[in-house]
Amino acid sequence: MSRLIEVNDLCKTYVVNKKQNNVLRNVNFSIEEGEMVAVMGPSGSGKSTLLYTVSGMDKMTAGEVTFNGRKLSSLRDNEMADVRLDEMGFIFQQMYMMKNLSILDNIILPAVKSKKEGGSRKEIRDRGLALMHKLGIEETAGNDINEVSGGQLQRACICRSMINKPRVIFADEPTGALNRSASDEVMNEIVGLNNEGTTVMLVTHDVKVAAKCTRVLYIVDGNIKGEKNLGKCENTSQVRERERDLNNWLMEMGW
Amino acid sequence: MFLRILKKDLKRKKSMNIILLIFVILSAMFASSSSYNMLAVYGGIDYFFEKAEMSDYVILTLNQNGEDPAEEIIRNSDAVKECNKEDIIFYSAGDITQNGEKYVSFENPGVIVSAKGMKLKCFDRDNEVITDVPKGHVYVGGIMSTLEEVHIGDTIDLKIEDKTVTVTIDGYLKDALLGSPFIGNTRMIMNDSDYSELLGAQNIENHCGGIYYIRTDDMEGLQNDVAGVYNSLFSADAATVKLTFMLDMLTAALLMIVSICLILIAFTMLSFTIKFTLTEDFREIGVMKAVGLKNRSIRGMYMVKYLCISVVGALIGYFASIPFGNLLMAGVSDRLLLGDEGSAGVGIISACAVVLVVFLFCYHCTRRIKKLSPIDAVRSGETGERYKAKSVLNLSKSRFGSNLFLGLNDVLSKPRQYLSMIITFTICLLLVMMLATAANTLMSEKLVYLFGTTKSDAYYNSTEKIMEAMGNSDETILDKSITEMEDTLAKNGMPADVHVELNYQIPVKFGDKQMQVLMQQCTETKTTDYVYDEGLAPVYINEVAFTPKILEELGAKIGDKVKMTVAGVESEYTISASFVSLNQLGRIGRLHQDVKTRCGDAASAFAFQIDFKDNPDEKEVAARIERMREIFNTDKIYNAAEFVDKCTNSSATIIMAKNMVLMIALLIAILITVLMERSFISKEASEIALMKAIGFKTRSVSAQHTVRFVVVIVISTLLAMALNWPFTKIVCDQIFGIMGAGSGIEYKIEGLELFALYPAILAVVVSLAAWLTSLYAKTIKADQIGNIE
Repeated sequence: MSRLIEVNDLCKTYVVNKKQNNVLRNVNFSIEEGEMVAVMGPSGSGKSTLLYTVSGMDKMTAGEVTFNGRKLSSLRDNEMADVRLDEMGFIFQQMYMMKNLSILDNIILPAVKSKKEGGSRKEIRDRGLALMHKLGIEETAGNDINEVSGGQLQRACICRSMINKPRVIFADEPTGALNRSASDEVMNEIVGLNNEGTTVMLVTHDVKVAAKCTRVLYIVDGNIKGEKNLGKCENTSQVRERERDLNNWLMEMGW
Repeated sequence: MFLRILKKDLKRKKSMNIILLIFVILSAMFASSSSYNMLAVYGGIDYFFEKAEMSDYVILTLNQNGEDPAEEIIRNSDAVKECNKEDIIFYSAGDITQNGEKYVSFENPGVIVSAKGMKLKCFDRDNEVITDVPKGHVYVGGIMSTLEEVHIGDTIDLKIEDKTVTVTIDGYLKDALLGSPFIGNTRMIMNDSDYSELLGAQNIENHCGGIYYIRTDDMEGLQNDVAGVYNSLFSADAATVKLTFMLDMLTAALLMIVSICLILIAFTMLSFTIKFTLTEDFREIGVMKAVGLKNRSIRGMYMVKYLCISVVGALIGYFASIPFGNLLMAGVSDRLLLGDEGSAGVGIISACAVVLVVFLFCYHCTRRIKKLSPIDAVRSGETGERYKAKSVLNLSKSRFGSNLFLGLNDVLSKPRQYLSMIITFTICLLLVMMLATAANTLMSEKLVYLFGTTKSDAYYNSTEKIMEAMGNSDETILDKSITEMEDTLAKNGMPADVHVELNYQIPVKFGDKQMQVLMQQCTETKTTDYVYDEGLAPVYINEVAFTPKILEELGAKIGDKVKMTVAGVESEYTISASFVSLNQLGRIGRLHQDVKTRCGDAASAFAFQIDFKDNPDEKEVAARIERMREIFNTDKIYNAAEFVDKCTNSSATIIMAKNMVLMIALLIAILITVLMERSFISKEASEIALMKAIGFKTRSVSAQHTVRFVVVIVISTLLAMALNWPFTKIVCDQIFGIMGAGSGIEYKIEGLELFALYPAILAVVVSLAAWLTSLYAKTIKADQIGNIE
């Protein structure tokens, strides 16, 4: 396994009403290729800020994030946009979609924009439909975004994040707006993607979700307070034990 | 509490509130300035004529053999209540030089009056009555004040026969009689001693004439009495003279149409902005309802907010309307004396109307608040709006790139959002296209027949040669000039036939009605060579044709018999046809070529028409015109299209109006584009953030947004192309109607100019404005996706 993301002394400070708010303070960690890392922590601890800063969506105040050997701070906006388009996928808590595009068109939009995979419009369409088929939402391809359920919409977001075969998927509470059964379905898809080799970094409050990851980072007040290596979840029978194990660890961390 | 919410709202939604404020300012500015303009122009000509003390009837005469027979006829008329005669000296453009060089070029003879001898009040550009002019100074008006080569402060030499006076142009004048370029004659006011010096010139009596300002209570009787004034060059009642200013009125009217369109546009935009801001607030409205606020309270809060914005906007708009209104009226007020009584009141009322309209709009739009349940507002999408927009195109099946697709799909999926812009751009294009067509038609040889003449290879306008013949008892002068011209052309390898149309003031009687009509006649052509609307061309010597206006004034129709006194002989003539004409504002007739006339009686003449005998092609004709200009040492030799342009004297006004409308249209298009694009960015901030999050660059977002505006322009252009013909026909028929020609004008539609050039200019300007504004999307970062409501 090679190192995909390396975070060194990452700091992020917001200035609100002339007051400095240090959201991230000298954060250090790394993510190997193929890992599935969950970031947990209390509200306001800096989880989402960490995710957005590591993914280059937000600018860091100090420190460095190295993605696939490239320092993100040295990339210009346009280069960063290309990295996001070709090598990163994003899943958000809210199912943000382009309002006047169909589900399929929303999914294939990054592929149409990207030159990475190439292919004709028909090939791109087939790729989008294949992903939808895989995630079980093929029948919604022509629907508008108000015509599908929240779970289907979130799976469509996952399809969109996967369309350019990214090296890493960043997910910010991907199941936060879903009910339990939809949440399980979505998590199963993300775990499935990880099993196929896609690296995943996600932010979650949900122990059940985090228990499916290979590693958990616990962040408090902008600092990584601890990390728990759970290893690969080989079969479903291990899930309950991993949850218990993770719960105990989180209690120790002050959860 | 509400005040605090309001204060926060004004601060937090700064950009949308500022956009709304700008639209209110624009609306108030356009409403105030255009209502003032409307008032000023509506009574403009009447006001001008009243202040100038214009008489009921005017006759302009040129001495015949050194005498003016008009004076006695007018003195003997019982219908004349009061008559004031202004002595004038005729001059032509060739009589003016500067440092020995030719100074100006204009077609018709001008008139010189002395400041003390004036019987009509003329005004300077500051609207002050000109009562005296210092020695060595002059004021010029009419067409001369519109010429580029004429400047205030220029010193010129004016030579009449053997006398020369050197004068400096002190300023331009507003002249109720000869002020319009449409009338062709230009007035020059000079000091009495300079005028007296010119009166001492040899043969000055042949250059003299008079302007009779007649007051009457019996117009019909007066017209009957003065019908015998055969040395009159121009005679008309005040209503007809007013018509000569119709082009100025037309310009003003066009500007008013533009202003009204702008008001409509601004209000459409206001409605859009108000609905837009309310959509943005749906979640908040839902929350307020959820915590127990009543509909009335929520609605009241919005009403107070919009009232504050509209009052501030209307106030700023009102003050901005003053310079804006003056700017719009600048072209018109150069020639017309416009009153400004009550302008402040009208402006204030208009600004208040804007506040009221905004308030009513707001009241109408906030009705939606009632229908919203808290749960609707909170659950229906992130900004409360329902996802009603349906994708019209499929990206998966489309061949377009992502930017083009997104831009196009956006316009097609949400056409209502772009409707106001489509209407705006269509109106702008229609106005410009219509004016361009009017201007092109006025400069087209297609209109030659409307001047009651035939198409010739070249037209030589020589005021000097015509004036030499007019009022002179020697009947051979004109023939000699024509023969000389033919000989010169033949010697220079351009064998040609030359002829000239002469116009005679002829008294025409029909029943009890008698009036003077300008009759055209050319002895070298046949009446059958001309175009008639109704009836048959006069074939016999006792047949005559008139324009519909003359027939209407006489109360006659085709087939009726009229009595006319031509060259002192009264005979009966049968009206055989009617024809439309732009000549004399449509009041003219045509005599058979064999009717005996006296050349010396001619009141005016057309250009010398040159028809080459060897049928040269168009290129050769153009080359020959150049050579003729050298041979005859004049630039007044034209082809048919140029001749039409010179005759109408109005294409310049229409072109000026077109350019002004084009500039205003572009300015408005820029404003609307900037404000709309800024609104789109505010509204679509979350989508922009999403696009950025999935890897779109700012330039892609800009391109996508710019494409939308280009699509809007394309749709507007297609609409304008479809509506151009009926719109142009309706409006231009009115324009040509005013000038004397009814319907049936063959318009010259320059496809490339109309359907490619103007849309392209608009597209470039709008795209540029959209692209520059869309760069603001740079400030929206990918990580804002979760923060933007």
